Amino acid sequence: MRLSYQKRIMLTAIIMVVALLLVMAALWMPHIKRDVKIMDALFVIDITDSMNVQDAKVNGEAVSRLAWAKEFTRRTFLEMPCGAHAGLAIFSEARSLILMNPVEVCSSYHDLTQMLNKFDPHMAWARSSEVSKAVYTAIRQAKEIEPEPTIVFVTDGHESPPLHESLFPKFDGKPGEIHGVMVGVGGEDLLPIPKTNEQGEIEGVWGVNDVMHQDVYASLQADTTMNVPQARTEHLSSQKKSHLQTLADRVGFEFVSSPTKPGKLVDTIRQVSETRPQTIDYDLYAWFAGIALILILLVYLPYGWFIRTDD
Amino acid sequence: MNLLGLEWFNPGFLLLLPLAVLPWFNHNLDKTVAWVNLVPMDPLSRFFNVGLKILSTLVITALVLALAGPSLPEQKVERIGEGAEIVLLLDRSRSMDDPFAVKHQAAAVSVGGDNSKRNVARDYLTEFVKNRPDDRFGFVFFSTKSVNLLPLTYDKDVVLATINANALGKGLSDTNMAEALLSSAEMFEGQAYRGSRIVLLVSDGGQLLSDEAKEQISRIYKEMNLSIYWIYLKSNQAMTLEESEEDSLLWVDIPERKLHNFFKSIGVPYRAFEAGSLEAFAEALAEIDRQHYQTLIVEETLPHEPKTDALLWLALLAALLLAASHVYTFWGVKKAHE
Repeated sequence: MRLSYQKRIMLTAIIMVVALLLVMAALWMPHIKRDVKIMDALFVIDITDSMNVQDAKVNGEAVSRLAWAKEFTRRTFLEMPCGAHAGLAIFSEARSLILMNPVEVCSSYHDLTQMLNKFDPHMAWARSSEVSKAVYTAIRQAKEIEPEPTIVFVTDGHESPPLHESLFPKFDGKPGEIHGVMVGVGGEDLLPIPKTNEQGEIEGVWGVNDVMHQDVYASLQADTTMNVPQARTEHLSSQKKSHLQTLADRVGFEFVSSPTKPGKLVDTIRQVSETRPQTIDYDLYAWFAGIALILILLVYLPYGWFIRTDD
Repeated sequence: MNLLGLEWFNPGFLLLLPLAVLPWFNHNLDKTVAWVNLVPMDPLSRFFNVGLKILSTLVITALVLALAGPSLPEQKVERIGEGAEIVLLLDRSRSMDDPFAVKHQAAAVSVGGDNSKRNVARDYLTEFVKNRPDDRFGFVFFSTKSVNLLPLTYDKDVVLATINANALGKGLSDTNMAEALLSSAEMFEGQAYRGSRIVLLVSDGGQLLSDEAKEQISRIYKEMNLSIYWIYLKSNQAMTLEESEEDSLLWVDIPERKLHNFFKSIGVPYRAFEAGSLEAFAEALAEIDRQHYQTLIVEETLPHEPKTDALLWLALLAALLLAASHVYTFWGVKKAHE
């Protein structure tokens, strides 16, 4: 295609005027309203002894399950869209204790991580680990928070004292009434559990005779289908995936085992949550400035290298 | 990304910057003439030629930079404010689930209701925090072990969310007062003294402290220049923290009084408020509110400030001149062809 000199001059003039108008639009075009979907999440972190087992990995380095849980939660905060809310809670003994109600995740990121960093086996007020009851209390308390948050429960699923499948603690809520995700942490292999003392310092590991190996109630029953001799392995811990799956089904949660991408977890949270729309101001300047730039570049591209423009 | 002291929202666009030299290698608008010597030397048109190239480079550069989205990063500035630094020490023990200020025994059995001591403490503290814009608050987790859960912060949303969370669920079975008092003091460790440091204890009971703990607490509190405020949520209206003539034998030796006497003895500013009713509780907080408007150095975070508009203005001015000159050229060429 060949353009006469006159046509080139005309086109350039037109393009320059249009570009000028676009830059004006970039400066003065009012912001438009746009809805983003945001969610409220309450992160419950297991701080019981089994979380001290060093079988999780952060950046290829073996760390404790708790360290992984904290790091992964922090990175999840970063992936959540601004406007979304996050709260923090810990689980020890048989209950979840909410420490901070959900707050806006971008503006309060600093304080959220400050608090998260303080989570420590120290804070445990008793040395048992009843995961299912803790999930139930988290659900009960989430109902008292306005708006009701989605629970993200980070645990290895290790029940101590152990639970017999048929003697599950009763869940008195409606499954799925509070939405949630169970996040499983820990490896496949049974490993010894570091034992913390009254001061929360690690002192050796739990011995085979330190813990119960059978559900208390099941062991009292004459029914031999229930009261069967068990392998004595409750002093060791791995990620109890099937238990977490059962528990998740019971309360209507999703179960994610050892996630690797915080962004994926945020997607899961978004899917299960009742997201609420939040209107944000969206500035279109980038579009106008971008198109103006392309137009101006069109004038100056070295066409001469490809086609003859002389006449 | 940080570059030149600015934060760039889309630093990828900066890769387009070399495009700004395109106008200098461009002959799209040249007119071929038969013999160059025919064209007279014209310094003015040379000047315009260079000027137009500079303008084009300027437009391209400004637009690329604007797309990269620069902004001045958040800045911390210190200003003089009026207020205090307050560590909240909220009792989370089981007894805080009991109703507050009940007149008769029948009402006392409703545990964990709306009028529980924990809920009342939450409501009033929320008001208190909201009314004090310049204060920095910290929060101590008060259980068997204490943890400095929330280091001193200006973020009111976070403080309120923590106070609210404190009212959820049942209380904890065991709390350790000495440990909590020490943790509160630790909050100020390594912090520059900005003025008026307060530990605000809200509890419904006292605890006996060991001599060792007492010694430690009095030393550290003096060292750190802390004041203690204790809002004591009374369950028994007749009981007072101060000894009096009409004392019942039952409360001569109770831990609350011992704690009160200990606080008085350590030589730091201390005040106790005995709240037996909602009015008394509100009055206690109002009193603290009045007393603590001392000059304080407040650290404020200025939000990051976008600098895109300045670049767009630059692009606008350059584009205006460019467009004008090209329209003029077009008009001239058209006339010449007529």
